[in-house]
Amino acid sequence: MRLGFTRFIKILFSSFFIQTSWSFFSMQGMGFLFTLVSGAEKNQRDKIRKTHKGFFNTHPYMSSYIIGATIRAYDEGKSSPDEIKRFITITQTSFASAGDILFWQTLRPALLLVATILSIKLGIIGPIIFIVVYNIFHLYHRIKGIKDGYNIGWDVIYLLKSKRFTTVQHIFEILGAFFSGLLFSLAALKINYLLLIPLTLLFTVLLIKRFWSVLIIITVILLLIIMVMV
Amino acid sequence: MSVILISIIGSAILLDKYAFGEFGISQPIVSGTIIGALFGDIHTGIFLGAIFQLIFLGGLPIGRNIPPDGQAAGVIGCGSYFLLGAANSSEHSLFLATIFALLGAIIGGVLDIYTRQYNEKLNHMFMRKEHSLYLCHLSGLVTAFMRTLCVFLPFFILSSIITIPAGFPQMNREILMIIGISIGLANAIYLFIRKTTIIYMVLGGLCGLALLVL
Repeated sequence: MRLGFTRFIKILFSSFFIQTSWSFFSMQGMGFLFTLVSGAEKNQRDKIRKTHKGFFNTHPYMSSYIIGATIRAYDEGKSSPDEIKRFITITQTSFASAGDILFWQTLRPALLLVATILSIKLGIIGPIIFIVVYNIFHLYHRIKGIKDGYNIGWDVIYLLKSKRFTTVQHIFEILGAFFSGLLFSLAALKINYLLLIPLTLLFTVLLIKRFWSVLIIITVILLLIIMVMV
Repeated sequence: MSVILISIIGSAILLDKYAFGEFGISQPIVSGTIIGALFGDIHTGIFLGAIFQLIFLGGLPIGRNIPPDGQAAGVIGCGSYFLLGAANSSEHSLFLATIFALLGAIIGGVLDIYTRQYNEKLNHMFMRKEHSLYLCHLSGLVTAFMRTLCVFLPFFILSSIITIPAGFPQMNREILMIIGISIGLANAIYLFIRKTTIIYMVLGGLCGLALLVL
């Protein structure tokens, strides 16, 4: 069973839009359906539209694995819509968790840290390296996700144990830790370390205590005003 | 560069985050570079982008969590700085642009919730008319674009008309760097430092020292 090139391109391109209509009601539900309908055979589109109207949420890059496997299930025609829905329900959370940890929590911040240090030192090379390297991993998962999902079918979930997830995550954790140390020593000696060290400790404590976002921003504004006034 | 044009370009850049692809173009370090290039000062754009990137390094959009809009902050911070710089000193502009960026991040996060609530209407419309899937779904591009335009326009209009009085607080680049790098380091420590990786942080620190000595 083969997924033709035209269908593959249609699925890939439409999967870029998976978050376009993100809502609290169905999250990526419409985006997922949009991609499925774009990639499905014409005679199956109405059936798919009726079956997958509801909730769907996973990591946007990882959705490709589920989309590929779902389209294969429809092409084979052996599984009932309920079985397909059950597969989607199970896999979406597993892939969401893997994708969030791999991309949002590890790979992207690590690469951004590298790019930031490079851009402060070398200018435009930093952003260029970030865009190129990040999209190599990003598009790899988008493309391989569709292909592997279609080729492997419902066993695609076992790919979560593969090196493309575990090893890459481990490498970028190390890279992130290494560049944190590098940034610290480069910054502490170049700029005022008597301010940098206590401020870093303050913000680390805020983050560990889970005083997220708005409170941290307000703290920054207050600190800025105090520092500027002093 | 006109206020309308920079708002439209900024909103188009932010479609990357909300509506199309997530290729990383909307990250402050990249958007700052683009805006800097548009205003003819790419180095300042990269510097501001890098600092805002460090401040918002740890905003994780996991599950239903909607962190402050760091990407919008990057565009607002850089755009406002250049617009303010036309009539004000760079120290005044830097202070106000940073405040605008941080406020923009909070407002962007709030508007994000409203946009997603509005998208529910599109979803209900699709439920009633099954064959309008493409129209309902792709209308999300318009809501995402309008959301960011609504965040950017007031800040950029303000930045283009404000003349900052001489007694207003000023900020030099070093203060912004101290704040940005300390939050960036805190984010990095929170994200990467575990028992198993702490040795690599020490190694990185030693390499940094060696680089400085050499």
